[in-house]
Amino acid sequence: METLVYIALFAPFVGSLFAGLFFARSPKNIIVGIVNPALIFISFLASVALAFHVAEYGEVHIKMMDWISVGNLNIPFGFLVDEVSVTMMVVVTLVSTVVHIYSNGYMDHDKSFNRFFSYLSAFVFSMMILVMSDNFAGLFIGWEGVGVCSWLLIGFWYHKKDVTPDINPAISPSYAANEAFIMNRIADLGMLVGLFLIYWNVGSLQYDVVFEKLPHLADGLLVSIAIALFIGAMGKSAQFPLHTWLTDAMEGPTPVSALIHAATMVTAGVFLVIRANPLYSLDAVAGVSYFIAALGTFVAFYAASMALVNRDLKRIIAYSTLSQLGYMFAAAGLGAYWIALFHLAAHAFFKALLFLGAGNVMHAMDDELDLFKMGGLKKVMRGTYIYMGVASLALAGIPPLAGYFSKDAIIETAFNEGTYILWFSLVFTAGLTAFYSFRQVFLTFEGEERYKKYGFHPHEMYKYVLVAMSPLAILAVVAGWFQETFHEFIIAVLPDYEMSHHTHHNAWWLGLLVLAFAVSGIVIAYKKYAQKGENAFKQDAEVENGFLYKLLMNQYYVPYFYVEFIVKPYTVISEKFWAIDKAVVDGTVDMIAKVLYRTGDKTRTMQNGNLSSYLNWMGAGALLLILAAAVSAVMG
Amino acid sequence: MEHILSILIFFPLLAGILGFVVDKNSAKAYGISVAAVEFLLSLWLWASFDTTNAGMQFGEFIPLISQFGISYNVGVDGISLFIVIMSALMTLLGIILLDESKIANMKNMIVSLLFLEMTMVGVFLSLDAIIFYLFWELSLVPMLYIIGAWGGPTRVYAAVKFFLYTFAGSLVMLVGLLTIAYLYHLEAGVWTFNLLDWYQLDLSVGLQFWLFLALFAGFAIKVPMFPFHTWLPHAHGQAPTIGSVILAAVLLKMGTYGFVRFSLPLFPDASVQMIPFILTLSVIMVIYTAMVAFAQKDMKQVIAYSSVSHMGIIMIGVFAMNAEGLGGSIFLMLSHGIVSGALFMLVGVIYERTGTKIMSEFGGLASIMPVYATVFGIMLMASVGLPLTIGFVGEFLVLLGFYEVSPLGTVLAGTTIIIGSIYMLTLFKRSFFGPVTNEKNRNLKDLNARELTALLPLVAIVVWLGVYPKPVLGPIDTSVKKLLVDMEYKARTPEAKETIISLQRAKEEK
Amino acid sequence: MIGISHYLILSGILFSIGFMGVLRRKNLLMLFFATEVMLNAVNIAFAAIGNYYGDLSGQMFAFFVIAVAASEVAVGLGLLIVLYKKYGSLDLDVIATMKG
Repeated sequence: METLVYIALFAPFVGSLFAGLFFARSPKNIIVGIVNPALIFISFLASVALAFHVAEYGEVHIKMMDWISVGNLNIPFGFLVDEVSVTMMVVVTLVSTVVHIYSNGYMDHDKSFNRFFSYLSAFVFSMMILVMSDNFAGLFIGWEGVGVCSWLLIGFWYHKKDVTPDINPAISPSYAANEAFIMNRIADLGMLVGLFLIYWNVGSLQYDVVFEKLPHLADGLLVSIAIALFIGAMGKSAQFPLHTWLTDAMEGPTPVSALIHAATMVTAGVFLVIRANPLYSLDAVAGVSYFIAALGTFVAFYAASMALVNRDLKRIIAYSTLSQLGYMFAAAGLGAYWIALFHLAAHAFFKALLFLGAGNVMHAMDDELDLFKMGGLKKVMRGTYIYMGVASLALAGIPPLAGYFSKDAIIETAFNEGTYILWFSLVFTAGLTAFYSFRQVFLTFEGEERYKKYGFHPHEMYKYVLVAMSPLAILAVVAGWFQETFHEFIIAVLPDYEMSHHTHHNAWWLGLLVLAFAVSGIVIAYKKYAQKGENAFKQDAEVENGFLYKLLMNQYYVPYFYVEFIVKPYTVISEKFWAIDKAVVDGTVDMIAKVLYRTGDKTRTMQNGNLSSYLNWMGAGALLLILAAAVSAVMG
Repeated sequence: MEHILSILIFFPLLAGILGFVVDKNSAKAYGISVAAVEFLLSLWLWASFDTTNAGMQFGEFIPLISQFGISYNVGVDGISLFIVIMSALMTLLGIILLDESKIANMKNMIVSLLFLEMTMVGVFLSLDAIIFYLFWELSLVPMLYIIGAWGGPTRVYAAVKFFLYTFAGSLVMLVGLLTIAYLYHLEAGVWTFNLLDWYQLDLSVGLQFWLFLALFAGFAIKVPMFPFHTWLPHAHGQAPTIGSVILAAVLLKMGTYGFVRFSLPLFPDASVQMIPFILTLSVIMVIYTAMVAFAQKDMKQVIAYSSVSHMGIIMIGVFAMNAEGLGGSIFLMLSHGIVSGALFMLVGVIYERTGTKIMSEFGGLASIMPVYATVFGIMLMASVGLPLTIGFVGEFLVLLGFYEVSPLGTVLAGTTIIIGSIYMLTLFKRSFFGPVTNEKNRNLKDLNARELTALLPLVAIVVWLGVYPKPVLGPIDTSVKKLLVDMEYKARTPEAKETIISLQRAKEEK
Repeated sequence: MIGISHYLILSGILFSIGFMGVLRRKNLLMLFFATEVMLNAVNIAFAAIGNYYGDLSGQMFAFFVIAVAASEVAVGLGLLIVLYKKYGSLDLDVIATMKG
């Protein structure tokens, strides 16, 4: 079994090195395009084999070697493959495999083809470390590793120049990359503090040791640990107020958005909360858990509202990701960890599919992202239309697709916990989700063919790419059917969550209510955006100048606020500090030197060569000495 | 090889003197071979080092002025071992990086560097206060010459400032050292400058406080701690690449090493008492200089200020009073030496090509010089403390260790991982990303064989010690634990005993 | 009765006169005279105090001072003549060449 673990872990790493070391400087090499996906696929197979093994025999726990060992601190490179991590491994490697194959087509004409694969595989490797590690420090390695890969990949087209932003604060891929990295670092500090607290109070960072000792710690301490770790999770999973980087990260290539910013990396925060479920389900931290759920619900609604008006193909999906992450946190915060994980997996499938579909559209439209310049694309891109349609149906929660099962379970959980405000917000957001998803789909594929006006010549993606996407499409449809199987599999490590009788009793109308919201969202979207001819969608200046529209379009002015009240003051203060450093700190030193120098310079005139004045000085000195002698004699 | 330490110290000196008669054209080759031999010797020292022994090893003792107890006394333990190896390595790589066509009078440069190497190794190996002071001051001379002779336009100002500033501080330190010897004489009736004897000296808390301050003057200016740091940007701004590399990698470490070797074991109570003071200065150092670094226009100044900022983290680790923090800070000294040395080398590479260090002159370098950008990127990531690079291990341990002393202080100092990445990533974006803005840069050549020879070993070390720091952390850990046990034993006040967490107490608690 | 204090007062007055001369006079020759006055003031004090204590070494020292002063004047006057020949003046403001 150990071999399988190592294969699953290191196959992506080998791929990254292979592409990075041997082909970094050569032009596009098809060998890279074959070997790298193949290695990821091997990793996927190993993960699946491990999943069966875990289901059969329980967890696999291995220790490769020591990493850091100082004082009483001992951090090994240890790997824990249990039900939770193996679920993540399968999801990650599956989506990665598809994205790798997809990238062959998408990055076809890019001159840095090989470099792209190197980064992408490195990301998979980091993500595998993140989910497989058996201690918090190892998790942190992967945590930072995915951060840096995300930095590399968002800024992949680093050569693009900065353009003055109109609405979005991102001015170039490199800007977005830095923003993402720095914002994640803010959260990482919180996470580090969590690790320190754990270490000094438990004496170890190993999951098993920590979770065993946690219940014996003081309540206040547990709350601090829970908050600190959740701050870390907020950064990676882009929860409010650290969310702005995710939409800006859409500057990266679309396969990256699909893999990193939809399916895997951004769910790391959710994974952390799920992993630390022994902590978050303690009574002492119930407040924190409730806060997580409330924040998740808020973000779900908040992000969905921004997606309503946006015109950018990828940003809408990014908002939707944000919103769905909110759902996951809501479930995790309410204690339904396995439901959160289930939604995480289901979401990974249909969201990656949605992004890849968007990538097809971009490929067809010469990287154009404005929905208002598209429309009627279904004629030329039938395959992509079906994929995106399926993914959006799944996202909207239409039965019997994956999203219906996973999202419905979360909403039911909120009802079950008696948190009716959260429950209603989630139901309402489900309606919004359906609306914006289909607004996007209809604006792209239905209605008038607006693109002709702008002179685009769209064409369908390569056949093999469409075929490669099919696993995701199939999973987006069928994943929900395995809810019970998954449930039985996962409760071996995660606490079970059962609905009460009362909820069971009401389940039918709850489900129908959600469905009603979702369907009406789709219908409204259809009415408004899918018509042709007279009723065809037209931009309405009156609406667009309205306060609400502007508020949503500007992302509630949060990025604006960050730029005006954090970035700019930081720059100004830095400049001030530099001025102070030169004038005051260095100035003082120079002044001491100058005083000495000036004193010498001034007193030099004593040395005027005139014997008479020398004698005067001498006399004065002699008098002074006598005076000093007299004073000291008197003082005695 | 009983006298390995003496050989390590005096071989560069002898070779330097011989260097005067070496032919001008083969000066660089001569320098490389001497530095390589020295480096191999230091590796040999590591190989024969007993990692289980926490005390001083390979000690040599020759009385010089027995009336005053001054003797030639050297020894090495886990704390100094790796700093010595790093000094030898950075000198070697620095000499390899020297460009014969750009450096006038290569022979003088080589001789100065070898002389400098002797003083550096000497400082880290001395166990006699006078010998320590001797090497400490001597190290100023070759550096003064290197800055003054091969520096930029205002090199004389920078060199004199560097010299006078650090010299002024170390004179105060000398007074402190002499006072300790005098107090020892009062106590024991004999004169000695032997550090190991001094460790036995039991000083009152009040005396400890003043002596701590006296030594602080010398060490803090060298580190350099805020607000004594302003000589550093001038020195770095004017120094040639090799000067900056050695200055950042090794000379600054002399200050923090001094704290570990002198202040902590000699004045345990005062050290504990001074934690808030040191913490305040260090946090200011970390945040303030990082922000100043962000405001810089000149690439080299960014790195220079970032050096100060990182030294703040090292200082915090030194005063963490537990094995995690102190061991981490010593590891961080090594990692900072390697990373900042490499960064200065990289700035030097671009400066040699373009004659400028101003970031606005660059832009889009990543597409012109991909290998250069990659190496720079790796060093940048090590500098911001990415896990699995050398920078993370030390930083993590220091912050972890210091958390036990002051959670708030750790959070404030921990902002380094945020603001550190702000200025570093901004630097990277301005210079390497975006379209090529300066047409003159279009034809820049990527790293050549000479530069790669100097830089790739550093890249390898950055990754190796990031993934597997154990061979280095082990001996450090052993010696640090002994130091803490000694400190706790010696401490008088209950607060100090409380704060210093030696392994013994940690075991008792378990 | 003339006591020790009278001698010392006289000596003090003489010394002050000489001292003022040294400080105020610009002519090098006058400076010499002033120095001589100061030396002799000291001589008076030596002799008087020596007598007061009945100790001959005070008077001995006075002779010694006289001898030194005489040789000093001999050498000093020689130098003065050379200076005068060179500059044509003994005014200190004129011959101030060692300006720093």
